[in-house]
Amino acid sequence: MQQGGGSDKEVTWEDQQNINNFGRLNNRLHELEDEIKIAKETNDNLEDASNELILTDEEVVRFQIGEVFAHVPRDEVETRIEQMKEVTSKNMEKLDEEKEFVVAQMAKLKKILYGKFGDSINLEEN
Amino acid sequence: MASSSSTAVATATETTTERRGIPGAQFVEDVETYLNQSGLDVNSALSFLQERLQQYKLVEMKLLAQQRDLQAKIPDIEKCLDVVATLQAKKGTGEPLIADFEVSEGIYSQARIEDAESVCLWLGANVMLEYSCEEANDLLQKNLDNAKASLEVLVADLLFLRDQVTITQVTIARVYNWDVHQKRRMREAVTAEKDS
Repeated sequence: MQQGGGSDKEVTWEDQQNINNFGRLNNRLHELEDEIKIAKETNDNLEDASNELILTDEEVVRFQIGEVFAHVPRDEVETRIEQMKEVTSKNMEKLDEEKEFVVAQMAKLKKILYGKFGDSINLEEN
Repeated sequence: MASSSSTAVATATETTTERRGIPGAQFVEDVETYLNQSGLDVNSALSFLQERLQQYKLVEMKLLAQQRDLQAKIPDIEKCLDVVATLQAKKGTGEPLIADFEVSEGIYSQARIEDAESVCLWLGANVMLEYSCEEANDLLQKNLDNAKASLEVLVADLLFLRDQVTITQVTIARVYNWDVHQKRRMREAVTAEKDS
C-alpha cells in the first residue's frame, strides 16, 4: 500500500526531460504574458496618439524621436504612427500565436506526467 | 572500444557536464545506486544537493540581472539609431530640424539643427566622441547586433541553468522519498519480526 510520500515510481531520463521541458514552457508562458501586456499598452498608447492627432488642428506636431520632441508636419506624424501600429500589431499576433502553442504543449506534457506519476507530481500554478 | 562504448552509455543518461562555468546536474538513474556510488548517507546527499541548488540560484540571479541590463540597453540603442536616421534624412532637404529638448526636469528649450554633418556619441566612462552620421550609424548598428547576440547567449545560459535546477529539485525529492520508503520498510520488517 503506498502513501503519497513513499512513491515507488522510478523517474527515467525521459521523464526528467519532460519535467524540464514543462518548466521551460511554464517560464516562457509567464514571459509571454508580460510581453503581451506591454505590447497591448503600446498599442493603446498609439491608438490614443492617433486619436489626438485627428482632433488637433495644428500643422506641426511635437513627435518624440529619441529623447527630444522634434517638430514634424502632421502628415508625416500620421504615417509614422500608422507604421508603428503595424509593427506592434504584427508583434502581438506573433506573441499570441506563440502563447497558444506553449499552452498546448504544456497540456500535452501534463497529460503524460500526470498519467505516469498521478498524485506524486504537482504541475499546477501555486 | 570498451571505453568509447561506456562513454556513449554515460552521455545517454547524463546531461552536458557544464556550460560556461555552470556545473551540470547529474541525473540519477537509481537512488540506491547513487547513494552507494557516492558513499553518502541520505542526509549528506540531501545537504550536498541543497547546497548545489543554492549555488544555482545565485548564478540565476546574476544572469537575470545581466539580462535586465541588456534588455534596457537595446531600446536605447534603437532610439539613437532613430535619431541619426532622422538627422541623415533631414540633411538633403536643406530644412532645419527643430526640436524641443529637456534642459532640466520639466523645462524644455528649442533647438535648431541644420545640416548635421556629425553627431557625438556617448561611449561611457565620461567619454564622448564625434562621428560622421554614417560612422555613427555603423557603430550603433554594431553595438545593437552585439547586444542582441549577447542576449541570445544569456537566454540559452538561463535555460540550461533552469534545467539543472529542475533536475536537482527532482533528485532531492526522490532521495527524500526513497529514504521515507526505506524507513517504512524497516519499520514493517521490525513489526513483522515482533509478531512472528
